[in-house]
Amino acid sequence: MSEVIVITSGKGGVGKTTTTANIGTGLALLGYHVVLIDTDIGLRNLDVVMGLENRIIYNLVDVVEGNCRMKQALIKDKRYPNLYLLPSAQTRDKSSVSPGQMKKLADDLREDFDYILMDCPAGIEQGFQNAIAGADRALVVTTPEVSAIRDADRIIGLLEAAQMQEIDLIVNRIRMDMVRRGDMMSVEDVADVLAVNMIGAVPDDEDIVVSTNQGEPLVDRYCPAGQAYLNICKRITGEAVPLMDLDSHRGILVRLSGFLKRA
Amino acid sequence: MRQLFLFHKSNSGEIARNRLKLLLVSDQAGVNPGLMDLIKDDMIGVLSRYAEIDSGGLDLTVTRMESAGAREPVPALSAMVPLRQFTGKRNEECF
Repeated sequence: MSEVIVITSGKGGVGKTTTTANIGTGLALLGYHVVLIDTDIGLRNLDVVMGLENRIIYNLVDVVEGNCRMKQALIKDKRYPNLYLLPSAQTRDKSSVSPGQMKKLADDLREDFDYILMDCPAGIEQGFQNAIAGADRALVVTTPEVSAIRDADRIIGLLEAAQMQEIDLIVNRIRMDMVRRGDMMSVEDVADVLAVNMIGAVPDDEDIVVSTNQGEPLVDRYCPAGQAYLNICKRITGEAVPLMDLDSHRGILVRLSGFLKRA
Repeated sequence: MRQLFLFHKSNSGEIARNRLKLLLVSDQAGVNPGLMDLIKDDMIGVLSRYAEIDSGGLDLTVTRMESAGAREPVPALSAMVPLRQFTGKRNEECF
């Protein structure tokens, strides 16, 4: 049985695209057939984050308009088994595609894929309506900042109004040092404020910047964010994985420097 | 784990810079980068009629140039093709 999942946030810059890239790659590594769809028409980015920007010939709008077949537009990621990307169009705008067309596109892909991930654009306008149209399930990404949480709440409201069956929260860029100091809302605080199921938290991790620079998702690497994303992937598939202890990933040097600062 | 690589100098910033240089030009020109590979293949086919070329060294980039009648510079294809040897004639067998 296949599942169409939209990754959304309302606010821009909280990590939707990074999350889509890493969860998609993680699900592919777990053995599922996965396709990632960049629904941000006019501002495509999932291709660069995945490092597949040089392979684009056709895009989502070409498929919808019938300029090419779906198979011609899908880019196979050769680094992973069964992972594909459907890139967005860069020179068109959001009105090029309707929610109905997007729903049909997602439904057409159900036959060949276990997971169809829609990377949603920021905002609540047509791009958002397009991205959620065919989705069975939503992952709402937020950071522990007031602006991002407020927008996430608005998005959750809109998703509920659209009768989204399942809504899960991902708290991104959590900094445990700041949480401990009391200068950042904890993961539990954020989930509590938004009153929605939390499916995982991702620590703020320099490796994310490095992996984006390189165009290589880090879900298969040994680093805090990579492990957090892999756990989220497992939970998406229904596996019960306990929440990661974010503190345990503090390295010995960090602890030592913390000790020295106190001393 | 990272502590093991304390003295490892990362160069991912440089990789990002190089990727972006290529990406922004093709974005501004409105050309899909994948299409460039198709153009490359076709060019190799045509040029092979006249010369033995080093197809792996072919460098095709989108730049900008002035064009009569256009107010702003227009996208321009620029190709550097390393030739191993000119055949000096048109080789019909290649097609």
